[in-house]
Amino acid sequence: MRLAARGLRFLILAAFAAFFVVPVAWLILAPTKSDEALVTGDPLAFGGFDRLVLAWQHLDAFSDHLYRLWIGNSLLYAVSATAIVLVTGIPAGYGLAFGRFPGRRLVLSLTLVVMIMPAAALVLPIFLELNSVHLIGNALSVILPFAFYPFGVYLAYIYYATAVPRELLDAARIDGCGEWSTFRHVALPLAKPVVALVLFFSFVADWNNFFLPYTVLADSKQYPIQVGLSDLLSSTPSFNPAVGGGGQQVNIFRPELALATLLAVVPVAVVFLLSQRALVRGLVGGGVKE
Amino acid sequence: MIQRRLWLVVVAAMAMAGCSTATNSPSSGANSPGKVGGDLTIWVDAARLPVAQAYAKAHPGVHADIVTFDGDGNGATTLQTKIQLWNRTGKGWPDVIFSEQVNDPVWMAQKPFDFAAPVKDLIPQDVLARWPASSTAQCTINGTQYCVQDNLAQVVLWVNKKLMDQFHYAVPKTWQEWASLGEKVAREHPGYIVGNIGDSFSHWIYLWGNQCPLSQVNGTSVQIAATDSHCTRVAGLLDPLIKNGTVPPLSVFTPDFAQKYGGADDKVLLMPGPSWYAQAVFDQALHMPAKQITAAPPLQWENETPVTTGQVGGGPWIMSRHSTNLTTAADFVTWATTEFNPSGAESRPGYPAYAPLATKWLEQQAANPYYAADPTPALKAAADQIWPGWNLVSYPDQPVWSTSVVTELVAGKPLSSLLEPFGKALKQAAQAAGYAVN
Amino acid sequence: MRSTSTAEADAPAVGAGAPAARRRGGHTWPGLAFVGPYLPFLVAFGVLPMLYALWLAFTDDAGGWAGFRNFTRTIGDYRFLPAFGHVLLYTGVWLGSLVVLVVGLTLLLHGRANRVSSAFRFLFYIPGALAGASSVLVWLFMLDPTVSPGSFLVRNVFGSHLFVESIAPGKLPFIFAMIAFWTGAGGWIVIMYGALNTIPQELEDAARIDGAGPVTIALRIKLPLIRKWIAYMVILSFATGTQLFVEPQLVNQASLGLVPDTWSANQLAFQLAFRYADFNAAAAVSVDLLAIGLIAAALIVTRTGLFRTDD
Repeated sequence: MRLAARGLRFLILAAFAAFFVVPVAWLILAPTKSDEALVTGDPLAFGGFDRLVLAWQHLDAFSDHLYRLWIGNSLLYAVSATAIVLVTGIPAGYGLAFGRFPGRRLVLSLTLVVMIMPAAALVLPIFLELNSVHLIGNALSVILPFAFYPFGVYLAYIYYATAVPRELLDAARIDGCGEWSTFRHVALPLAKPVVALVLFFSFVADWNNFFLPYTVLADSKQYPIQVGLSDLLSSTPSFNPAVGGGGQQVNIFRPELALATLLAVVPVAVVFLLSQRALVRGLVGGGVKE
Repeated sequence: MIQRRLWLVVVAAMAMAGCSTATNSPSSGANSPGKVGGDLTIWVDAARLPVAQAYAKAHPGVHADIVTFDGDGNGATTLQTKIQLWNRTGKGWPDVIFSEQVNDPVWMAQKPFDFAAPVKDLIPQDVLARWPASSTAQCTINGTQYCVQDNLAQVVLWVNKKLMDQFHYAVPKTWQEWASLGEKVAREHPGYIVGNIGDSFSHWIYLWGNQCPLSQVNGTSVQIAATDSHCTRVAGLLDPLIKNGTVPPLSVFTPDFAQKYGGADDKVLLMPGPSWYAQAVFDQALHMPAKQITAAPPLQWENETPVTTGQVGGGPWIMSRHSTNLTTAADFVTWATTEFNPSGAESRPGYPAYAPLATKWLEQQAANPYYAADPTPALKAAADQIWPGWNLVSYPDQPVWSTSVVTELVAGKPLSSLLEPFGKALKQAAQAAGYAVN
Repeated sequence: MRSTSTAEADAPAVGAGAPAARRRGGHTWPGLAFVGPYLPFLVAFGVLPMLYALWLAFTDDAGGWAGFRNFTRTIGDYRFLPAFGHVLLYTGVWLGSLVVLVVGLTLLLHGRANRVSSAFRFLFYIPGALAGASSVLVWLFMLDPTVSPGSFLVRNVFGSHLFVESIAPGKLPFIFAMIAFWTGAGGWIVIMYGALNTIPQELEDAARIDGAGPVTIALRIKLPLIRKWIAYMVILSFATGTQLFVEPQLVNQASLGLVPDTWSANQLAFQLAFRYADFNAAAAVSVDLLAIGLIAAALIVTRTGLFRTDD
């Protein structure tokens, strides 16, 4: 009986694992095949490295290396914004957890409320705000809104409130440390897990954000990769054939699109792998069961 | 540790992005009025990329920034949102835009967009006079001409001569003959098709040509009568064919269509479609072999005269009134529509709207080895038969057709039952765009 | 880190006494200084836009008071009810799948065989790297029976023999929910798993001694103890669900217009703002979305007592 139950459990988990993983496997293998092979051959077969190189050449040639520019933009926006998030958010979480100042609860509540609000509902007012200070068209019009990450502040706050005992800080103060030294030498080193967590979540959120850059950026050379992918989809004949004919010279077909999607994921995957440990150990309480 | 990694990543990011993510305003450099040269920003779709690139190559004094976009195809609203954005920020407009939506100049010329520059002062009158009157009329909004069209897209009947001869069928001359042939094909050669109705523009092929009054503009009001007899009789004709599979509700541009009906042993017997189908659809999308396709005159309804046909496209070129280099913009547009005429496989896919160029293009097509027979007489005759009773409006009707009709056809509903909802949806779109509907 | 569970137990014990006296002392300024750099961002990109959206929603384009006119106008728009209907149906299906499948999978994972369990958790997490446009592009391929590795399922379970049939209007909310589940489930499973780990081992052992089977333990003991986290997941997912934009936008492009560009409420707001230049109407739609999110959050918070133990 127990064996059957365990077998069933394994089967269900395996079925879901297939559901989650097979599309990603397809995506990794797709750029190695030609367009016809994608349609006629085995979906999970491996093609050849030469086709992979060809797919990259086609993709890179699109609109004069626009793809590289998109990746570069995404890196710029995500890294700059995440840096600001860490610099402002970790101390903020610390201050909210241990400080006692008027308005502390207000800031906390506001952070919470903004966190659960549909962020897209704020994009249009943010656009108008940025326009009134003439920032539209500037990279800052993306970086600054990205740098506001209430979820990161809330994570830091919860971490400091639950995982760092007040006595440690008091001990430091007794030893003669000022407030800033206490933070720098005691609280900050203890916050390594939450720094990794906030870095990961903020970077991924910024990398995957579509609506804000789509709204505030008019020039396709400034697009981050997510918006660029939609541009690629709509500018290429395979998916959006021109009324009036032609356009096959653009050379973007399904393998190239798959490659574009795959490469867009690589930086996030790298950051993810680097932060894996902190994620699994997590904030949530204790990680691996003894 | 993390800080150091972060620093490295930031440095790498800056290196990769260069400094090109800074504010992007068109450098006014060498834009001297009256001279061709300097900076020119051109927005084209993928199909018009070659002509932009060819111009840039032939005119080294012009620094052309060519941007490929979706061409506003299939009723997209890309250009509307982009122009609003540029208007709001006060910068960023391209100098020239090519649009796949023939109605785009209608709203570009009016508030709140106010984008299009009148062509009267930019292109000499004697040149403008050589476009057909119908083409110029489509570019004229409130008395002023705001664009020139790249091609005419008159609907003809494309015929697979090889298959028709093989099956001993005669080329139909009327819609009724075409329909009965469709019934015959379903019985004798199932799997073969005589047309399709799944494109976002299929109503322009079947309804426009048969004078269905769906877009008759009168000032700021538009008449939409989807249940008019001109419309219902076409639906009645098409329904049995849709049902028996000879006119499938599938778009010619989908890979599914190419797999089912294209390729070396293609199944396309007949296809009512615009003049640009030959290169774009039969050759490039469906990979049909040479010596099969030719064009026949558009179908007539019973014995009604004059014969009218529909239009799918027209490709307006629009210049921006905000451009600081209108001389070069006009030079480019003129060159693209009156001179650009490569031969062979690179030839223009569409029937040029500029009459002298059309003559040259027709000579090329008459000698084009891809065709089974000379298609030019049919193409030429159809150019004057586009029904003028269908006016251009500021809202796109392609998405309305796609979402209210094509999706239901795919689900199996008959076209006759969908005309009323289609008319209703068109009315809503018209009202949302500010028209009064009667 | 490992001291988390003990810190929680210790803090109340240390609580009152001496530190209270210190708290009343001079900790006002330092706390504010730490929070200081964050405040401009909170105001500029959190509070002000909220207020601005509200102001826009209740005024007209000349700046004068418009009362509820923008709201009645947008509700009367022929695209409004379908858009909200789509989004609410999608959110309902997605939340249902999250609550049932995520919790179910996590409970299944949380047993013995730890290495197998963490391997599965990793596999479930992989799609989380592809959010936004990337995941839609992958699924555009997955839903096309000619290309998809799961073409058997697409043809026989979905009933779609062509791509256009896969994106038939009736199927769209479920397809988008599936995409959202595919990308989001892994992350929530990791969090829920961590939440389950906070349950003291003794509770489980006691139940097992009493004769409870694994299913009973899962449903009667583990499940109620992670109620708070489930509520948290539902609130956050509700907020992100109603703001659906990129998925229908890309399917609109890929389907050549077959799926309208005002399918979701957010798309409608975007079109109103950027196509019709009607920011007031767009703000009204945004405020509607905001209100729905807040009401749902308030309901869930009060019904599950989410913030009862918090500060």
